[in-house]
Parts: sequence; structure tokens; C-alpha cells
Amino acid sequence: MDNVNILIIEDTPAESEALIKVLKAHNYTITGVATSHKEALTLFYNTKVDIVIIDIFLNGLPDGLAFAENISVVPNAAKPFVFLTSSTDRQIFERAKLTNPFSYLIKPFNELELLYALELAVEKFYNQHEVFLGEEENTVVSQDYLFIKKGKSLKKVEISDIIYIEVEEKYCSIITETEKFVILISLTKILELFDSHIFCRTHRNFIVNTKKITEIIPIDNLVLLKGDHKVILSDKYKDSIMQRYILK
Amino acid sequence: MKAVFRIVIFSFLLYSQSNSAQQNYTPFEKEIIAKSKTIVGNPDFTKAQHFFLQKEWDSCFVYTMKQLSVGKQPEKIQNFCHFFRGFGFKEKKLFKESKKEFQLITTDFQFHNHIQMFLGEIALEEKRFNEAVNYFTEIEQLHPNLLLGIKKSSVKHNLGLCYLHLEKYDTAERYLREGLQLEEAQNDTVALVGTYGDMATLYYDQYKDKLAIPYFEKAYQLSKKVKNYQLKQNAALNMAVVEENRNDYAKALTYRKEYEQWKDSLNDQNKVWEVAELEKQFTVKQKQKEVSLLKAENKIKIAERNGLLYSAIVLFVLLGTAVYFYREKTKKNKIISAQKEALSELNATKDKLFSIVSHDLRSAVNAMKISNARLLENVAAKNLDELDSLLQRNSAIANSTYNLLDNLLHWALLQTKQSYFEITTIRLYHCVEQMVYNYRPLLFEKNLVFENTISRNDIVCADQESLKIILRNFIDNAIKFSKENGIIKMYTQNTDEKYCTLLIEDNGIGMSTALQTALLQETRLLSKTDNEAISGTGLGMQLCKSLIQKNGGKLDLKSEVGKGTKIIVSLIKKQPNG
Repeated sequence: MDNVNILIIEDTPAESEALIKVLKAHNYTITGVATSHKEALTLFYNTKVDIVIIDIFLNGLPDGLAFAENISVVPNAAKPFVFLTSSTDRQIFERAKLTNPFSYLIKPFNELELLYALELAVEKFYNQHEVFLGEEENTVVSQDYLFIKKGKSLKKVEISDIIYIEVEEKYCSIITETEKFVILISLTKILELFDSHIFCRTHRNFIVNTKKITEIIPIDNLVLLKGDHKVILSDKYKDSIMQRYILK
Repeated sequence: MKAVFRIVIFSFLLYSQSNSAQQNYTPFEKEIIAKSKTIVGNPDFTKAQHFFLQKEWDSCFVYTMKQLSVGKQPEKIQNFCHFFRGFGFKEKKLFKESKKEFQLITTDFQFHNHIQMFLGEIALEEKRFNEAVNYFTEIEQLHPNLLLGIKKSSVKHNLGLCYLHLEKYDTAERYLREGLQLEEAQNDTVALVGTYGDMATLYYDQYKDKLAIPYFEKAYQLSKKVKNYQLKQNAALNMAVVEENRNDYAKALTYRKEYEQWKDSLNDQNKVWEVAELEKQFTVKQKQKEVSLLKAENKIKIAERNGLLYSAIVLFVLLGTAVYFYREKTKKNKIISAQKEALSELNATKDKLFSIVSHDLRSAVNAMKISNARLLENVAAKNLDELDSLLQRNSAIANSTYNLLDNLLHWALLQTKQSYFEITTIRLYHCVEQMVYNYRPLLFEKNLVFENTISRNDIVCADQESLKIILRNFIDNAIKFSKENGIIKMYTQNTDEKYCTLLIEDNGIGMSTALQTALLQETRLLSKTDNEAISGTGLGMQLCKSLIQKNGGKLDLKSEVGKGTKIIVSLIKKQPNG
């Protein structure tokens, strides 16, 4: 599991330092601190960012808002972001609201509020509501990553690293080349959100990354995967797997 | 001598004819009405008929002429018109005209026989006796049903007259007798007088004086019963002639005198009639004038009445509008005064709030000042043990002052509606956790136990910031009014369908009933009397109340002095479908 990368756009050093301190304490990686609109754009496009924290007012101007507006209109570039502001000025809020989806945090805030705002931003951005706060699930699926709530903070796992997933009731064991962990996510959600060209079911309880398959042994009803992992191939899914494999 | 008789008799005969139609309608006129009934929709004709029946010939001529001049008419109407005109001319003794008119009528006209009769009469008048005899004989031979009001007796009488003039005495006698019989049967006194006279003349002409004289006398006796002066006159004259011929001059003289008398009275009567007619006309005119006067008066009265009515209506409307506006005005005034009262009350509250808040702030800052002075003293004395507690205190003072200012700010924002407000779904548990996080040090300091047993699945609909302010204030209060080692519990009750009820319970000092009601009352600030040391302005409470209201929620509280307080906040629950 990797840390989640955060870009901070904040012109007051004291506040950005306080933010960094809290975020680091909860295993977030800070990819940079921008103090102006321009700097923010440079950092945003040149580093791998998962979440952006934006102070609406930079040097007295609503440049943070301008930045958010800027990135949210670029297709595929947009990332989840959280607004920071010290006022609940209605006009500013009405404008900020247009950069839908948006989550905000009113200063002063405590660390719980900050962490919650980050989680909310991810949920809202990937349109998977009520994940991190509920008791049923703890994972949000994006295009490339799984965002998993671990303790008070978020972690991410690159989806292409996953070898296979084993489903046991509402739990899912994720097996990557280096680690194995359990997340809370429903099978339907996985099937719905994972790329079906890459991930397919071999068994009622197994979903396999087809790129990690090394061998299929139909006689033994087995699929051999990278890292010497073995997965059961049931009759129900045998045909579709075989077909896909042969076509390749 | 004879000439005298004849002239007398002729005029008498014709007169009796026209006169006999004076009362009501004669059978002939009834027939006219009946036969012309079918003609409707011609006002001129209707008028002509009316005047015909009224014997106002001139008017009748005018309307018949009008009717005829209109152009092509049904034959029936034309016939009637000519008939009316012919009859009228005959009555006016314009025989030529009359004949002309009668000749214009087609032979299939219903009253053809009458025309024959009238032509006969005209011939008689014009002394063309043979021609008259032809006409009358023709009619005499008709079936009675076809007579349509022609008196058989008149026909016989006329025939008799004709023969009399033709000096065919036998035939004349026969006809006159027949006519006499019929008239006696009909008891037609007027006709009888004439016939008796004619009979007498018949005999007299033949020098059968013995036969004639009784008839003359009969006629004379009968004429006394009649009111017709002409008849009376004729009868008297005849008697006078008879007596003269008998050389009884004394009697003749009396008859003559009687005759003169009747003649005079006839003239008188005519004059009287004329005068009466004039008077009648005069009175009619007078009446007409009166009527028109009354009409005019009526018009004026109506106009006056209408005028009064309109002005009354206008006045009423004006009054109505005036009353309406007056009421509106008083209503407005009432509202304005009520608003004014409310405003001044609010203003007073605001002023009070200002003084209390500034007092609070001043004391807080003052405490900080004193504390800082002591801090400086201790730093100078290098008394490091004291520093920690002093700083702790400073931080606490700063915190509470900050909270006060924060509430003040939000209160101001709420009043001016400048704040962003958006109802979203919020998980109560996490929100409470986030808010309590700030109070951990305080809880620790007072050694309080905090229990958050709100279900993670309780989701309410509220504005995030205002909910945070509400929670902050209630948690702050709960801590403030808790005793050391106390317990603060936060939990929810989901008994209501619409609301999720959040309870904040402490076992602190509690409050009096009066204070509770005061807190729940609208726009009420507290004076600093009860808990001088720790109580606030009630601004926080006021703010929470307003915010809860704005979020569509409800606030209640239960408290007992010494046992603790329970704050009950009902917030709108997220409905399963959205």
C-alpha cells in the first residue's frame, strides 16, 4: 500500500506547516506546497497528485478558486480537492460550488475535520458516497487506484499491481506481488468498477488480473499466476477464461 | 204636396239606414270584422278598417289610399279597400265616386251582394227606379244565408219605395206590407215608423185617405216613442199636411208647431252636440295636456330619482372605499406599531447584548492581562513551575474568548444572512467526533468522561457549518456546567419518522425552571446573575436556537438543579429514498 500524495496550495507558511505536520503524522505524502496560482499549476501538472488542498484566498485574491476552476475543466486532469477558507462568505461559496464536486473546510479546523474533508473529497470526486464513514465499506475505486481507509487516514493501491482478489462475504483479500490485505468492498462494486477486460472471475470467490496469469491448467481446474499464486477455476467460468486466453 | 212627402221620406229612409248602425255593431259590421280578420300584418289596412268601423270616412279614405298605393296587393285587400271607400263615398253622398269604387271590386268578393244592395240604394237616390228595382229584386231572390247582414225587410222596403215612385201601387203595397210584417216581427221601431209613413204615403198618393190616415197616425204615435228628432219631425209634418188637407187647420197648426219644435230641437240638438263635441275635444285636449304634463313631470321625477339613486350609489362607493382605506390604514398602522415595538425591543436586546458581550470580552481580556503580568513576573523570577499553569490558564481564557467571538460573528452573519447555507446529508457520529476533538484537553482537565454512542448510521439533513456551531456550543456548555469527574453522554433516539433526536446529557449543575423557560423563549438574553463565574450571555443558546430553526429542527431541554441538563435537538432525518 502506498501513501496518498497531497498538493497543498496555501500562501501562509504557518498554516501550510501545520497542515504538513498533521498530514505527515497520518502518513500522507506531501508532494509540494504552492503559494501562488502559477506555482500551483506547475506543481499540479509535474507531480503525481492524488488530492489537492486549496486555500481559496491567495495573497488576498480568490486565486485558489481560480485554480480549482482551471483544473476542473481539463478532462482527465482533475483530482479531488478540498477548499480551505476562513469565511463563509456566500458569494465565494456560491462560486466555489460551481467546481462541483466540492468539499470545504472552514478555518480553524482540527485534524479530524481535515482528515474527514480529505476522505469526503475522494468520495465525492469518484462519486462513491458514504464509503469511509459507514461501517459497510472502506474502499473507493478510481481508475488507477484503490483508496482504502486505514485507521484515520487513507492509503492507496495501484490496481495494476493486484494479482487476484479473493472474496469472502463482505471482505475482499487483495493479493499483490508484495503484500496481502483485506478491504471492505462489495463484489458487485468490484465487478462494476474494475476494468472487465483485465479482471475476470474464475470462480465464485476469485477475481483474477488476466495480465498476471502465467498458466491455465483446465484438467486440474487451476490458474497459475505470477508469484506462484494458484487460483481455482470453476466450470462456470472456464469457457470464458479459455476463450479469452486462446484469443490472446 | 206629394213632392213634400217624397223628399221627406227619402231623406228619412237614408237617415234611418245610417243611423241604425249607431250602437254597437250591426250584423253587417260584424260580418266585415269576421271576414277581414284573416288579413293581418298590414297596419294601414288595420287602421282603415278601424276608421271604417268608427265611421270616420275621411281617415278611412286616407288609409285605404295608402294601402292601395303601396303597390301590388292581394286581391282580397284591394277589394276590401275599394269596398270601404265605396261605402264611405256613398255615406257622404258622393254617389259617382262610390259607384266607381264599387265597380273596381271583383265579383267573387264576399260582400258582392252588399255592393248590389248599395248600388241599388244609389240608383234609388239618383231616382233611377227601374235600375234600383233590378238590383233589389236580385237580392230579394237570394238565399237568406248569403245575405250577410242585409236586412230582408230593408230590401222589401226599398223595393216598395221604388214601386211607389214608379207609381206601381199594387206591387209597392205588397212589398211594403211584407217589409212591415218583417219589421213588426223584428220589433224595429225606427224602421216601423218609416214603413208606416211610407205605407201612409202609398195610400195617400192613391187618394185612399181613409187607409192612409191611420198609418200616418200610427207613425206619429210610434214616433213619440222614438228619440230620433228627424223621425218625430217627419211624422209631425206628415200629420200637419194630412190635417191641412182635411182642412182642420187648428190641428194642422199644432202639428206644424210640433214639427217646428222638433226641427228646432233637432237643430238645438245638433248645436248641443256640436258644443258637446267641442267641449269634448276641449276636455280631451285639456286631458291630453294634463297627461303630457304629468308625463313630463314623471320624466323629471324619474330623472330626479335616478339622479338621486346614482349619487347615492356614488356616495356609497366613496364611503366604502373611504372605510376600506381607513381600515387598511389602521391595519397598517397597527402592523407598523407592532413592528416598531418589536424593533425597539430587538434594538434594546441588541444594545444589551453589546454591553454584555463587551463586558465579557473586557473581563476576559483583563484576566489575560493580569495573567500575563504574573507570567512576566514569574519569568523574571525564573519561577518555571508556575509558567505551565499560567499558560494553561491563558490558553483557556483565549479559547473561551474565541468561542464568544465566534458565536458573535456567526450571530451577526445569521442576522444579515450573509453566510453560506446548504443542507446536505451529514453523519452525526463523525460530526460530533470532530467537534469533541477540540475539547479533549478540557475534558481531560476536568476529568470528564465523554461518551458518544450515536450510531454511525444516523444521517441527518443539515447545513454542515451551522450543525458544527450548534454541537460546539452544546458541548462547550455541557463541559462548562459539569462538575469534576462528571459524565457527558451524547446519543440519539429514532422514535420519530421525520426527526432524528440528538441528546446531549450531562450530570452537572443543571438549571432552574425559570432559567429553562427563559432560554427557550424567543429573543431573550440572560443577565449575569445566576452563575456569575461561568454563565455566559445566552448568546450561544440564542444562536443555536436560530440555527436549529433554520435547519428545520427543534430544540428542547430538560434540567434539574444539581442533577444535570439534557439538551434535546431534533434534526430532520435523511429519508431512505433520498
